[in-house]
Amino acid sequence: MLLPEPMSRIVIVGNKARLDEAIDALYELKLLHLIDHTVGADEGFSIGAPRPYSEKAAQRLLFLKAMEKELDINDETELREKTDVEEIRAKISANYVEAAGEEIFKVLDKRNDILQKITAENARKEELLKISNLPIDLQLYRGYDSLAVLTGTVAADPTDVAMSIADSELFISSDKRVIAFFVKKDEKENALRVLADYEFTEFSVPEGTGTPEENVKAVNERILSHMTERAEIEKELLALKEKHGDNILLMDEEITFEADKGGIPLRIAISDYSYVVDAWAPTDKVSYVIEDLNAKLGSSVYIELQEDRTRDLHEVELAEGRFKETPTHMKNGAYVKNYKYPVQLVDTPRYQEINPSILLSIFFPLFFGLMVGDVGYAIPFIILGAYGLKTAKSDDFRAIATILFFGGIWTFIFGFFLYGEMFGMHFVGEAVGAALTWQSLFGLSFPDWFAGIFPYSVDAAGYSHYGISKMLKVTMLLKLAVYIGVIHMLLGFIIGFINVKMQHGFKEAFMEKGSWIMVFIGLVCLAWGITEFIIFDNSVEGMLLFVMLTGAILMAAGSAVAIKKEGGIAILEIPSLFGGILSYTRITAICVGKAGMALAFNFISITMISGLIGGIAGIIIGILFFSFLHLVVWTLAILSAGLHSLRLHYVEMMSKFYVGGGKEYEPLEIKRRNTKIVETEV
Amino acid sequence: MEPSGMLAIGAGLAVGLAGIGTGIGQKDAAAAAIGAITEDKGMLGKSLMFVALPETIVIFGLVIAFLILFVM
Repeated sequence: MLLPEPMSRIVIVGNKARLDEAIDALYELKLLHLIDHTVGADEGFSIGAPRPYSEKAAQRLLFLKAMEKELDINDETELREKTDVEEIRAKISANYVEAAGEEIFKVLDKRNDILQKITAENARKEELLKISNLPIDLQLYRGYDSLAVLTGTVAADPTDVAMSIADSELFISSDKRVIAFFVKKDEKENALRVLADYEFTEFSVPEGTGTPEENVKAVNERILSHMTERAEIEKELLALKEKHGDNILLMDEEITFEADKGGIPLRIAISDYSYVVDAWAPTDKVSYVIEDLNAKLGSSVYIELQEDRTRDLHEVELAEGRFKETPTHMKNGAYVKNYKYPVQLVDTPRYQEINPSILLSIFFPLFFGLMVGDVGYAIPFIILGAYGLKTAKSDDFRAIATILFFGGIWTFIFGFFLYGEMFGMHFVGEAVGAALTWQSLFGLSFPDWFAGIFPYSVDAAGYSHYGISKMLKVTMLLKLAVYIGVIHMLLGFIIGFINVKMQHGFKEAFMEKGSWIMVFIGLVCLAWGITEFIIFDNSVEGMLLFVMLTGAILMAAGSAVAIKKEGGIAILEIPSLFGGILSYTRITAICVGKAGMALAFNFISITMISGLIGGIAGIIIGILFFSFLHLVVWTLAILSAGLHSLRLHYVEMMSKFYVGGGKEYEPLEIKRRNTKIVETEV
Repeated sequence: MEPSGMLAIGAGLAVGLAGIGTGIGQKDAAAAAIGAITEDKGMLGKSLMFVALPETIVIFGLVIAFLILFVM
């Protein structure tokens, strides 16, 4: 579970005449991750040509995708009932795709025509509206032998200067923005020069007869009729979607497989008479693969196990280019697999390293719970998470639902047994200042055994606290966070050590990671000792002296090894370890921040609003405020606790061991969504 | 001024100034991260890591503020 599944490389050699059969058999196995052939890697072999049926399949696929786009069909849709694949294949060979395409594209062409007409009419309408203010019929704008008509927009009224052009007449719109200037053809240049001062921009006048208003009216009528026609066509398209939609989806699925299968020869080595397939398969399935292929393909195939790939990186260095990378198959359980998503946000793990999913699955919800720690917020988390886990199908949403559900459970556990609070108020205890408790709020009296559940303390002022108060026990929570940080980071280093030991052997692991484990432990011991000495005034003797000495020795020895391995720059890394540990105090910071907000919001909604207004109205308004304000805290809790918990894993822990950059295991297989194979009895 | 007042001002400065520092750091990192994610959605995780890095500074500020208020 910690490491990706062991893989072996096999080679399958067979008779080219039976390639189609072989491709089918490879797909049915659902176990082989194909290694793409490199041209020129083997003498006499090259990549093959696509299978004859794949060209037709590709054409049909193109057709189907166009129809899906036009009819707005989502190819990810899952139909309620699965259809027998034979039925679909029969339809495909009866040229269903082509026939449906013809029918649909005919209507689509009609729609395009109408759309074009509507666009043209709208353009004409726009032109007409420009001159609608001028009292001239359309036919009067053109058809003169000796007259030129200048129609356009101006920035100011040019009436005065227009008079200077002999035998001319100027029409101007009421808003003084549009003009029609009738001049002799000889004077046109002159007129244009004069109008240039008025920023004259010429536009063309649409052809036609009658007044612009009459024309606009006619255009409007035509647009309306086109719109009606368009609505009819849309209805027709909807009917076509209804008629062909499911079939298009089903055929898309089937033909995609056909096209994929047809493209396999492009990925394998082919000679004149034979084919060679290199592939990775899970080591424990190799014998099954050999048996199965032998049974299906008989004497036309020869299969050989090439190697069982170990985690040693030297092996990778020696391997041929295309065999260097081994695909990663993270074999996670039902719970852990939901944490694959946050890991993959960083990168896919390599074959030779421990998969961090399991660590995330343990610590992520734990940190989340510790940061939020409130029964009131936990319950909606759990409900929402459970609902998500029940309904969500996509990996992303499942990951979020898992985090909410298990984070919610830890939030509940910490919220109840550690902090003993709900919506920022302790269950049991007296109200101290602004800090209310459920007991004081409703005047409840809890039985002794209930109060006994919570950690009990008395503060300096003599008040009893049932449950750890986030606001008062900051120092304790800070210490807790630091201890968690030490354990978490140490775990990161240890996993790094195991990884390097697997990849390069013990010596290298000791030099690269062991040195840092020593420095880290040494640093922690020293820091603890110094804190005891400076802050708590303990004298350096006995146990304390021993711990500090051990720390100093470990640190010196570890640093020496690290410097030998990495050079002087390693020294600069040491303070960052300290920073890393302190970074975990964010757990406390968020916890206290949230408690502070809850305290203030409770004060606003209960003491201020409900208390000041009083009566039923006060209670109702108070409850409304209480709900809204706590919803704010709750939403912030998801964001801050989730993001910071993730960050602690990414930056502080995973950076100690995780490299990533692996390639995911993608076996050849047909994932049927809407079609199924019905076994016929013989 | 009362020593407790000075302590409170010190704590406020520790968080406030560290917050400004974080803000400046995150501003650049986040802008670059958004650019990177627009190019390639797969960069989300790595970007998140870099954007969250400067946040440590404000946490240090907060820790110092806690130490000032509760330990000193």
